[in-house]
Amino acid sequence: MFILGFLCRRLFQGIVIIFLVTFLIFTLLRVVPGDPARLIVGGMAPDEVVAEKAKELGLHDPIPLQFVRYLGDLVQGDLGNSFIRPKSGASFGGSAYDDPTRGERAEVLGLIVDHLPLTLQLAALAILFSLLISLPLGIAGGLNPGRWQDRLAFFSGSIFVSVPNFWLGIVLSLLFSVKLGWLPSIGYKGFIYTVLPALVLAIEVAPFVIRTLTVSLAQVMQEEFIAIAPIRGLSRWRIVMAHALRNASVPVMNLFGIQLGTLLGGVLVVEYIFDYPGLGLLTINAVLQRDFPLIQGIAICISAIFVIINIIVDLAATAVDPRLEY
Amino acid sequence: MKFDRRQFLRASTMAGIAAGLPALNPRFFVSDALAASGKPLTFLSAENLTGNWDPSSHTTLAQINLESFVFGYLTRAPMRPDNPDELVMELATDMKIVDEHTIEFQLRQGVTFHDGKPFGAEDVKATYEYASQPDRPAQWYPGPCKVEIVDDHKVRVKTDEYNYPASLFWFLSAFLPIMSAKDVADGTALSARPNGTGAFKFGRQEGNTTVLEAFDDFYLGKPKLPGINFSFVGDATTRTLALLSGEADLIERLEAEQVDTIEAKGGFALNKAVSVENKYLWFRCSKPPFNDWRLRRAACHAIDRSVILDILGVSGHPSNAFISPVKFGYVDTPNYPDYDPDQCQRFLEEAGFPKGEGLPELEYITSVGFYPKTKEYGEVITAMLQEQGFPVTLNVMEVAAWNERLYDRPGGGPGHMIDCGWSTGSPEPDLVLRTHFHSSSKRICGIEDPDIDAVLDKERNAVDPAERKRIIQEEVMPLLAERTPAFSLFTSVFIHAMREDLKGMYIYPNGMMDANQADFS
Repeated sequence: MFILGFLCRRLFQGIVIIFLVTFLIFTLLRVVPGDPARLIVGGMAPDEVVAEKAKELGLHDPIPLQFVRYLGDLVQGDLGNSFIRPKSGASFGGSAYDDPTRGERAEVLGLIVDHLPLTLQLAALAILFSLLISLPLGIAGGLNPGRWQDRLAFFSGSIFVSVPNFWLGIVLSLLFSVKLGWLPSIGYKGFIYTVLPALVLAIEVAPFVIRTLTVSLAQVMQEEFIAIAPIRGLSRWRIVMAHALRNASVPVMNLFGIQLGTLLGGVLVVEYIFDYPGLGLLTINAVLQRDFPLIQGIAICISAIFVIINIIVDLAATAVDPRLEY
Repeated sequence: MKFDRRQFLRASTMAGIAAGLPALNPRFFVSDALAASGKPLTFLSAENLTGNWDPSSHTTLAQINLESFVFGYLTRAPMRPDNPDELVMELATDMKIVDEHTIEFQLRQGVTFHDGKPFGAEDVKATYEYASQPDRPAQWYPGPCKVEIVDDHKVRVKTDEYNYPASLFWFLSAFLPIMSAKDVADGTALSARPNGTGAFKFGRQEGNTTVLEAFDDFYLGKPKLPGINFSFVGDATTRTLALLSGEADLIERLEAEQVDTIEAKGGFALNKAVSVENKYLWFRCSKPPFNDWRLRRAACHAIDRSVILDILGVSGHPSNAFISPVKFGYVDTPNYPDYDPDQCQRFLEEAGFPKGEGLPELEYITSVGFYPKTKEYGEVITAMLQEQGFPVTLNVMEVAAWNERLYDRPGGGPGHMIDCGWSTGSPEPDLVLRTHFHSSSKRICGIEDPDIDAVLDKERNAVDPAERKRIIQEEVMPLLAERTPAFSLFTSVFIHAMREDLKGMYIYPNGMMDANQADFS
């Protein structure tokens, strides 16, 4: 019953957040310079063709009216059509306004569905890598406060957080792809192409996890229930893994929910550098091409993912520590 | 036997993994794409395609390059520096100028289109009569024309009705892709997929990659490469990394520091050539304030081109004309505007804007990712113009967004100045001069100047090539240098880098390519 109430409450909050994000993005995209009608019909179209297209799209209507119309389509799962991309997948740039293919614009939802799985795959592997990096360093640091393990965790975290992701991406690509030839890096022809971009993202996320885990574990290890655990006959291993780490993991889980923003921001840069055909590269191209419906659709999609992941994190935290009530 | 929830979870996880193992595809983890033998050529293009396959619908260089693999041409122009006027016969086997308004092409027999249709005179007629219409966006043709079919494999291109010399098609024959008459009759088919007689046929579009496959019935025999993957990768560093790591076999539009990296690594071949492309600062001449040629001249005199060449390094070659040195009619134009702040201020004052006072905010649009160093020299030009009093703002855009803003339109194109190059696969100078500076076309700058129209008509109508060259050099170029509807900044040096074992590729000075003899040795 608690779970059901929790889910209903959080989902309602999530819908409100997505609604606000949608409204914000929709309004911002309509007040920035750039004529959507001109983008659709192309640079060579005469003004009357542009005016006709603007009328057809209802661009002269007040923004709230346009927003209501957009919401009407949105609840039916229609995120609109790209301004730039035809169904074939290439780009319209430079073609004539009266080309028959200009009428066959790709659906935003279809573009997102095509690209999202690759980004989720990248994000999942990045989280896995970041845990593989953070857990040994964070646990060792948390169990040995003030000693070299703690300092190692602190310094490695400081180095990781100082390294710009675009620089690291190029360096790792030069090292592992060009010099050593161990891993491919540019484009996507198989799962192996996810490894290097994921490593760059993992290094971006890891310092926050290392620091939070070190501090949290060090605090938990000072607690009374840990001090008396040996008296209960528990081994050091069991005390740390089953009791200390479980309690220390709640802040780390919450951090993961927040770090999703860093991860999604990092995906933009990393996918561009590695020419990784996920949602990040799609977003960058959409922004540079002023492809407003696509930017809007991706923003809504990302906010929905953000909301859902945070609900899952809260649920997981409640499961780990039943004292928590969200 | 005790079976608690932990054991249940463990057992069910193991069962899930065991059930999934047989379905695991090892190629999911490791792709065989890196296997070298018999693999298609991967070319990374710096520019996007348009999404419309009709060759007469666009002027996008990336798509012209792709068309060079897919389509056939009556002739090809290798434009080697030692013999720039050479033409190699392709779909034509012979050509001759019959009279002032007639040029005759004897056509090759035994050639077929990718859809199986045999190539013949009707295809040349359909292509030339369709693509030369004034409403076709590409505007490569000097004017409309009629084609007379003499027999199944002989045609005569006639220009008497439109009153310009047919000899203009001599060099142009190397640049006009031949379409199927069947496709021309059905416009939708023409736009939906490319269908030519070239060595490679269109396979499919996969996102930003166009997959081309070797054409079994190519008239010179099936190419050795099984196919070409033509991909758009907008970032030059990414293209370089892809080549260095073996993901790409051939890349284009390199910058000086990337050339150094590739040379240092070894194992790659570089192709550097002074191209047919000049890079221009185009003024929007059809709207204020650059509808006044004195203001355009002021802007030209504010720009020190030697600084731009320093920034470009190996990617730029100095030139003082509106066409490249490998084009017919090039001349080192004596009155070409030099950097001269005093002249700049004089023209500003004459135009009614002393020291730039009273000028509106000016927008200078450029692209990033396709042409080398555009952002860097764009910032320098902006600073130089600002120094002389021009209130200029630089707007740097991604290639596709910039492409959408490139052309003139009624009331003037977007912004006030825009950066763009112009590259055409033929020595014919009118592919630049007439396309851009004659009021019947004026693609980017939108200029309408009766004096310029008059000299351009005069050179076009000259029958004797020597006389035509003289008019271009002594009348057209000086007038353009005076009115400056655009300012030619430099001639591009095209730099392609490829795997060292890739042999037999021919790269034309405009970036078009011929891979029918190419192979990985």
